[in-house]
Amino acid sequence: MDWLPLSPLILFALGFQLIPVISIIISSFNSKHGYTLNNYERAFTPMILNAFKNSIQLSTTTATLGVIIGAFVAYAIISSPNKFIQNALIALADVTTNFGGAPLAFAFIIILGSTGVITILLKEVGINLYPKFRIYSISGLTIAYLYFQIPLMIMLILPSLLGLKKELWEAAINLGATTFQYWWYIALPTLAPALLSSFFILFVNSFGAYATAWTLTGPDVNLITVQIAALIRGEVQLEIELADALSVVSMCITLIGVIGYLSLARRSRRALS
Amino acid sequence: MRMHPLLRSTILLIFIAFMIIPVIATMVFSISTRWDRSILPEGLTFEWWQKVTSNPAFKMTLRNSFYLSFGTAIALVLLVTPSAYWAHIRVQKSKAIFEIMSALSFGIPGVILALSLIRFYSNIPIPLVNTPNILLLACMELSFPFMYRPIANALDSINLKTLTEASMSLGGNWIQTLWYVILPNIMPGVLSGFLLVFSTVFAEFTLTNLLVGARFKTFPIYLVEFTRFDGRQASALATISFVVAWIVSLLILWISGRKAVSAGGAVVVH
Repeated sequence: MDWLPLSPLILFALGFQLIPVISIIISSFNSKHGYTLNNYERAFTPMILNAFKNSIQLSTTTATLGVIIGAFVAYAIISSPNKFIQNALIALADVTTNFGGAPLAFAFIIILGSTGVITILLKEVGINLYPKFRIYSISGLTIAYLYFQIPLMIMLILPSLLGLKKELWEAAINLGATTFQYWWYIALPTLAPALLSSFFILFVNSFGAYATAWTLTGPDVNLITVQIAALIRGEVQLEIELADALSVVSMCITLIGVIGYLSLARRSRRALS
Repeated sequence: MRMHPLLRSTILLIFIAFMIIPVIATMVFSISTRWDRSILPEGLTFEWWQKVTSNPAFKMTLRNSFYLSFGTAIALVLLVTPSAYWAHIRVQKSKAIFEIMSALSFGIPGVILALSLIRFYSNIPIPLVNTPNILLLACMELSFPFMYRPIANALDSINLKTLTEASMSLGGNWIQTLWYVILPNIMPGVLSGFLLVFSTVFAEFTLTNLLVGARFKTFPIYLVEFTRFDGRQASALATISFVVAWIVSLLILWISGRKAVSAGGAVVVH
């Protein structure tokens, strides 16, 4: 009886999350002649393998850069002596975490496209970005993704940085440790679970992204989300079972990331408490 | 343990430049006559703004996006507030459902959510596929953590048990307790959730594009169409998106008193 008031929520979860997802898992193994791995075999063309490779590479790069840059910026923010600047920068990170998608991608075309504002500025001082660099490519996407990865990292790591105890620093210095030794032997191991769990969040965040990539590069950059979307729209071939198989493999990747995040986040809370 | 001031300022200035320049450049681009062959704009004009806003599709897509964002946020408030209250006061165990739903909502990419809904609902006799309704339901799934997290935090921060017992002992039933006692106390959380969902759905492109396509054009769909053939009008539309996102985010910051909007588990999906 106690669970009865929760039935709308449970129905929603079943109807719009769990059952549809389970149904594509089942149909990915289905064919006219019963259960089969055929869909997976046919789905994994060299082009699709390349899409997975690109997606994993892009996610790993933007997550790694996001974690490193974000952690440094977050540390710079909290070590600023001016409270007003601190709050303003945290607000900036907070707001920009929610930016992304089409308008952001277009903003990057305006500044770094072939006739972009910064492209022209750099040309004037003798640096020619084009044709070596193109915003409509994977390296362009990396820059655009960092626009939402870095602020997200700042928001994720701030509580852990603020949780680093002053006493540890004082104790280490009093016992004769150098600043480097403090960071390497004490602070970094304490922060490691938080850094790693943030990496997982950033990885999943980037792996599932579609709107930014689609606006910026259209079908030019071969990512797995772009491939699945093309199959849904029926642009490639009318074999939607292949999209099921690709989705199942993609979900395995993102859910491993989510589980990695959840288990490490728990450990990180313990390390700091 | 402090960072060297010079290093700190350098890092912070580069960070601010990286975050601000794309937005400012888009805004200036939208009021420039031409800005693709000189360092500074060749002149200023409101022509692109006039052109793009006088298009009847502009008002229509803006209205559609507003309806969708508002509808999703209201539906999630109605779904999440009573059940989260019930979970926190009576069935602690069921909090796990909310956590799992939040994790899945983040872990299932938009394209896969769209595929799974199309595949499932085209096989059963409920007329949802290709309607704005399925889009609204998908947006609810997508933005679920943004509603749940602030409400859960608000519920954790008040003395739920005492308030509920006090209300009950005075003869209130569950609905009266929720409406007259709990809701006013968790209002900042509910409002933050509402606004977070609103701004997420207002910027939503993936689900709209794949679930309803041209049948229900929203503002981001309109924007992406323009990026393909008229960059200057598109920049005016992008500016509007940025302004909406900024206003909503600043409102949330103001309501929640500088507390993190996007903390921990409630993570963005792009």
